[in-house]
Amino acid sequence: MSKIIGAVEIGTSQAKVLIGEVSETQTLSIVGMSSRANEGMRKGEILDFRNVASCVHSAIEAAEKMSGTTIDSIYLAQTGTHLQGMVLRGSANVASSDGRVTLADLQRAADEARRRQPSEGRSYVHHVRMPILLDGRPVEDPVGLIGQKVELIYWSIDGENAAIQKNLDVASSYSLDIDDLILSSVASSTIVAGQDVRRAGALVIDMGAGVTDIALYRHGNLAYTGVVSVGGDHVTGDLSMGLRVHEPYAEELKLEYGKALPDEADSGEEVWIIGNQTIGDRKVTRKAITDIIHVRIVELFEIISKELGELLDPKEMGGGVILTGGASKLPGIEVVASKVLGVPVRKGNFPVGISPEIAKPENASVLGLLHYALEDHGLPGESPKETSFLGKIGGFLGM
Amino acid sequence: MSQDNFLDMCPTYKSGMDGSQIRAKVIGVGGAGISLIDGLRFDNFDAVDNLALDVDLRTLSDSLASEKVSFGRRHTRGMGTGGEFALARRAIEEEKDLLRKQLDGVDLVFLLAGLGGGTGGGVAPVVARIARESGALVFAFTPMPFSWEKSRHAQAEECLKDLRKHANAVVPLPNDSLLQMGGDDATALECFAEASRNVSRGISAICKLVFQKGMIDVDFAHLNRAFNHRAGRTLFGYGSGRGQDALREALRSLMVCPMLHLPDVSKAADTLVIFINGGPGMGMSALQTISEEIRKEFKAGEHVVFGAHIDENLGDQVEITVLGVTDLGPISSTVDVAPSSGGEILNATTPTKTSHPSRLVVGQAKKTKTKTEKTTGSQKKQTLGVSQNTFDFMEDENQRGIFDNVPDRNLYDGEDLDVPAYLRRGVKISI
Repeated sequence: MSKIIGAVEIGTSQAKVLIGEVSETQTLSIVGMSSRANEGMRKGEILDFRNVASCVHSAIEAAEKMSGTTIDSIYLAQTGTHLQGMVLRGSANVASSDGRVTLADLQRAADEARRRQPSEGRSYVHHVRMPILLDGRPVEDPVGLIGQKVELIYWSIDGENAAIQKNLDVASSYSLDIDDLILSSVASSTIVAGQDVRRAGALVIDMGAGVTDIALYRHGNLAYTGVVSVGGDHVTGDLSMGLRVHEPYAEELKLEYGKALPDEADSGEEVWIIGNQTIGDRKVTRKAITDIIHVRIVELFEIISKELGELLDPKEMGGGVILTGGASKLPGIEVVASKVLGVPVRKGNFPVGISPEIAKPENASVLGLLHYALEDHGLPGESPKETSFLGKIGGFLGM
Repeated sequence: MSQDNFLDMCPTYKSGMDGSQIRAKVIGVGGAGISLIDGLRFDNFDAVDNLALDVDLRTLSDSLASEKVSFGRRHTRGMGTGGEFALARRAIEEEKDLLRKQLDGVDLVFLLAGLGGGTGGGVAPVVARIARESGALVFAFTPMPFSWEKSRHAQAEECLKDLRKHANAVVPLPNDSLLQMGGDDATALECFAEASRNVSRGISAICKLVFQKGMIDVDFAHLNRAFNHRAGRTLFGYGSGRGQDALREALRSLMVCPMLHLPDVSKAADTLVIFINGGPGMGMSALQTISEEIRKEFKAGEHVVFGAHIDENLGDQVEITVLGVTDLGPISSTVDVAPSSGGEILNATTPTKTSHPSRLVVGQAKKTKTKTEKTTGSQKKQTLGVSQNTFDFMEDENQRGIFDNVPDRNLYDGEDLDVPAYLRRGVKISI
């Protein structure tokens, strides 16, 4: 019996839906796909619920029609600057007389880590446990080993209840259950940064229309997530103001002529703003277009650099920096990013086997959701969470 | 209609104590405001009272303003406030009577103040309030600090909010945008001069509209009614053209006026003033076409105030000035905003007009918005008890700029990231 998985990303400019079918042989095929322009969001936040809900429903309906099935539950991507990440730590001394670690020790350490309550109106949305430290050394499974102190470290994210609720409501208003809420940055990472890359240490930057999601990996584990409230729409807005044109024209110019890296040839070249020689059409130099974009992009990466601080360490990032997302399509953006971040930057690739129509940077997040869901489902009849150590601990620690 | 016998032509222009004319005053508050006043240049500027108001005696003595008023002697001992707007506000509140006397009988006030400064920011809202209380229409032009002057900028934003509660229209002039004003190699002085010229143009246009007789006339009561509501964002622009196709060229120039392409500038206006000034060759039909295009471009709402003047001295030149505001609903305080001179402005002593007295019927602009409005004392449909500080985002035709629907600033380390990066970082864009 094949399993149907639904993945939904409510993006600032587009709501995207993918329906995947996992066969008995564990192959995933995408059977339904749809996207709808979203009008009710700005910078990753739902402003007009009705608008967003109807947009998402319409997308889901279209995807269902294409796939010939219906979905009952979805994996939903989460973003927004209301999401705040932080490190939670807890430790415990090994209690037993023979010096062997027990689950009880781990529980005490977990309790200490979880002492921090989110502030009023906020709840945790995600906890990522980093390798457990036994006397300072990372260990896969410390239970039964000899040592003195265990330390649990989590990268935890909390968010505004109201914002999260709106997202959940979009699903429930279509009678859909939520399989899981996944951070957009984590979702994108699973698809553009393979295990090897993550193990070598990598930074994944997903540039959307409204916001930019980032996820940093160290030794294969998620060490940091963040959301910067700047996206492709800001580039369009800047062009609109700088070139003194209406936004739709600014958007066209961005798509047609936009690039992040200035070059000598730009000042000579001029382009028509509207392009059909109507009254009011005029020319601007490519230099103006590039300069406007360049300043904005540089600033974005400077903000990312500032947010990461010491975590942005080339020595710990053998996997480099990977750019994805719709706004990452700007030519030359990886060069600019490299210069600002001081680490090699490349544009993300998708795994082989995904059709070119779907394998586009703007779909990284929603594709990543499916990919994540696939890992979630693993062996038929069993969920990895129940069988693996991670599952045991996760369950026990109430994560 | 040469300028020489201008005063003969228009006895209604302010000349004496005849209660039927409109009195206008330009008030510069604080250092930046006074500096702007000193830089103002437009025809018949002398006919408009100008007043410099400050705590700083040195600034006042250096000013070219014809009237100077100092206050707050016991608070600052004749020196500046050091950026403390609360101090300045306290000082001016103590001298309300002084202000009232200055504003007595004034119908139209142009308020110039740098909102980042202590006096400018602290006092401007009070002047606006008192001016409105005494029945004047208040238009403010306010320089704003650079984005990188973080705390000063934040303070200025607060003062701006305050000022908007009282003034009929506030046109912010961000320092960030100065660089974009002049030509490619413009010096700082040239950029400031251009900014100052823009203010002159704005004031001049409204004064001409109100004071002078022209091809298409506007009476002050009409202007008053159009602006009789709390002002949201404004738009202000200027364009000029010459030659055969002067009107169209002026329109094109208006469309790319840097003043229209700044953060916080509204892309649509519920109330729009259009003033066109041209040489004798300006045709009526071209005028109608252009004014229609302007109305469409700014999605003009119900209140359009359109004036057109012929000025022989302009030759084949045409100038267009627009000033618009978005309507945030009626002013909460009950204020009598009829001109204090009482009654209608144009009385029996108007000379026989040489041009036909056509008055453009305004308010017929096709509205693409779906809200229902009453014609006077326009009540903006308050959806769901939304507070007056929230903009109605349900109407996508309004197109008020890509982030205008989000009330909060996108602050990161004290800077609003929604404001274009090239503006905040001082990169000159030549178009």
